[in-house]
Amino acid sequence: MLSSAASSLFWMARYLERAESQARLLDVSLTMALIDVPEDRTEQLSVPLLVSGTREIFFDYYSEITPQNLINFLLLDSRHPASVFNMFQSARDNALHVRGNLSSDVWESINQAWLEIRELQHRGVTESNASSVFDWVRERSHMFRGAAYGTLMRNDAFHFLRLGTFIERAENTARVLDIRHVMAMKAMEQQATQAFFEWTAVLHSLAAFEAYQNTYGHNLDAMSVAELLILERDVPRSLHGCLGEIASLLEQVDSGDARGSRRLASSLFANIRFGDRDYIAERGLHTYLVDFLERIQLIASQIQKDYMGWQG
Amino acid sequence: MLIQTPAEGLYDELFDQNNKVRPQCRMLEQWLVNSNEELIAEKRREADVLFQRLGITFNVYGEDQGADRLIPFDLIPRVISASDWHTLQTGLRQRVQALNRFLYDIYHDYDIVKAGVISAEQVFANPQYQPGMQNLKLPRNLYCHIAGIDLIRHSDGNFYVLEDNLRCPSGVSYMLENRRMMMRLFPELFAHSAVAPIDHYPNLLGETLRAASLKPDPTVVVLTPGRFNSAYFEHAFLARQMGIELVEGADLFVAHNKVYMKTTTGPQQVDVIYRRIDDDFLDPLAGNPDSMLGVAGLYAAYRTGNVVLTNAVGNGVADDKSIYPYVPDMIRFYLDEEPILKNVPTWQCRKPKDLQYVLEHLPELVVKEAQGAGGYGMLIGPTASKKELELFRSLLKARPQDYIAQPTLSLSTCPTFVEEGIAPRHLDLRPFVLSGKKVQMVPGGLTRVALKAGSLVVNSSQGGGTKDTWVLEDDQC
Repeated sequence: MLSSAASSLFWMARYLERAESQARLLDVSLTMALIDVPEDRTEQLSVPLLVSGTREIFFDYYSEITPQNLINFLLLDSRHPASVFNMFQSARDNALHVRGNLSSDVWESINQAWLEIRELQHRGVTESNASSVFDWVRERSHMFRGAAYGTLMRNDAFHFLRLGTFIERAENTARVLDIRHVMAMKAMEQQATQAFFEWTAVLHSLAAFEAYQNTYGHNLDAMSVAELLILERDVPRSLHGCLGEIASLLEQVDSGDARGSRRLASSLFANIRFGDRDYIAERGLHTYLVDFLERIQLIASQIQKDYMGWQG
Repeated sequence: MLIQTPAEGLYDELFDQNNKVRPQCRMLEQWLVNSNEELIAEKRREADVLFQRLGITFNVYGEDQGADRLIPFDLIPRVISASDWHTLQTGLRQRVQALNRFLYDIYHDYDIVKAGVISAEQVFANPQYQPGMQNLKLPRNLYCHIAGIDLIRHSDGNFYVLEDNLRCPSGVSYMLENRRMMMRLFPELFAHSAVAPIDHYPNLLGETLRAASLKPDPTVVVLTPGRFNSAYFEHAFLARQMGIELVEGADLFVAHNKVYMKTTTGPQQVDVIYRRIDDDFLDPLAGNPDSMLGVAGLYAAYRTGNVVLTNAVGNGVADDKSIYPYVPDMIRFYLDEEPILKNVPTWQCRKPKDLQYVLEHLPELVVKEAQGAGGYGMLIGPTASKKELELFRSLLKARPQDYIAQPTLSLSTCPTFVEEGIAPRHLDLRPFVLSGKKVQMVPGGLTRVALKAGSLVVNSSQGGGTKDTWVLEDDQC
């Protein structure tokens, strides 16, 4: 398939996954801010800014971190690329470019999301209806995934699209875990109930709360959460789950002479697959995750070099 | 709902001159009469939402907020009887065959010029004539693989050809989507009428494009200027329907006079390019050096015969309005047949006698640029202001060769949903003619309708809308 089309599919899926992740994260952070002690509220609310790396840009436009400002900035603000609005717009731009590779169902699901978020931007979102908007973002993302699974041919277009999804998802899991676990560790030193909420926040942000309950029961402890989100193969947003998909997708992609991204992905995958919680504890979760993020970004740029890089 | 009857002296597609419903339209008329306003209003909204969701939009050049506008779609179909279509089809086939013969001739043997049917100056001095195409051998001697012929129906009931589009005719996706929309909104209408199907157009187009190359299994792509082009939706639509790649200039490169596309597994040779980019922008080395849309070296690859362009380069000379008056002569000259479809009488302002007539009768005439398209830069005498008339008078005197004039035609009307209910509006018809191993077309075309009362301008860029076009398989039902 065309390199430029592979690139657009890859980015289209990344933007949609990013939008969903951001909606989840924002949702949880707003809820956490409500139950947290007043002096820690700002810290709760800054989590989505830290994960998306937009804290500085935020203060270019707003003077104070409030729920409403956060909603405006991360959901609807078209002045910076990290808003859900611009993610949907970028996803649609990319989809438009590969319109020929998409089924009508997939295209319509993305176009519809864009039409609706334009409408939303027009009407505005407040604290009181924000939850339903987060639900809506998640639904749009599910719709896109469902349409893609249900209607796309299992060819390279599909593979590159899914690579985008899982690269983005792996990055997001690592970032959320990295930032939220620091807060949870701090809370554990202070108060057990607050720590419990912190850990549930991590799990809810990554749609893994039920998975945790099923696997470990009610006992929330730091290493088990990390283990679940990093090493547990069957959790859809775990690093193991994402890397498994990435490695297998790269095997399926018609690759010509390109081997680089396959090698990098398989090696990182092996690392996680045969890793254990003691190793992670020994290195320290933060160090482990920073290293992971570097390697996943390397894989992403190698994929672009191997399959999409005609410009250089 | 009440149907407003047509004005006198015009041909109406639904009513005959005694305001009786034409036999082939009876079912449709019954349906209209029985339909209630609320249901129709609801269906119209539904159609708007569906078109938005499908992303069937277009951009209007020179209009800032024009990005992604919908072309208004009218729910009342335009019906063409089986016998009318039979005449149209035969006439279109004849016309496109003659035009292809003409293009071959003016780039090879010049027989028609030698015979004195058309002057050498009008062919060779035409800015659209491409000397670089001379003696280039094209597969099957085909130049125009995809033609869009604009027709109108005059008050005498006959179809007249208004314009031939032999370069990059667009609009076929609307023809297909309009039908899909009608079948979705009003399935019951189709259950009771024998409307000829058109959905196989992409198959025929694919067949035509593959036949443009002599290779057994050629790689065909659609070349688009990109997302910001007004017809991008159509380019993507056709590529998808045919299952071939949609490429932009940057996706292609030329090496050793062969064209390749940049794929995830390396270069892949391209044999046929269905290009939706104008001649001048195809290759910055041969045409406009600032073109970012084309592919450097493409023209050389084309000249070497390593790639086929559909349509061919240099077709503009044959669909130019200054050549248009000669098409009936071409049919007689090349095919030795009488033209089946009529031409609109045309005054060529380059001829002093014609110019004089035009200047004297300006308020009655339509004046068009010989090279213009899209309804830009034309004068409609009867509705023009004094100022406009004066402007055109001076333009005509300054550059008579740039203009042609035609009588103001009474385009036929068809009932259309408008603000005040159902009222007659003027329309035209653009069928698409495909030339490959044989000349083929689907029964129908794009019907464009002027939505303003009395307006004769149907172009979407000027606020026109579209309708589904029904060719009946059998007039008896």
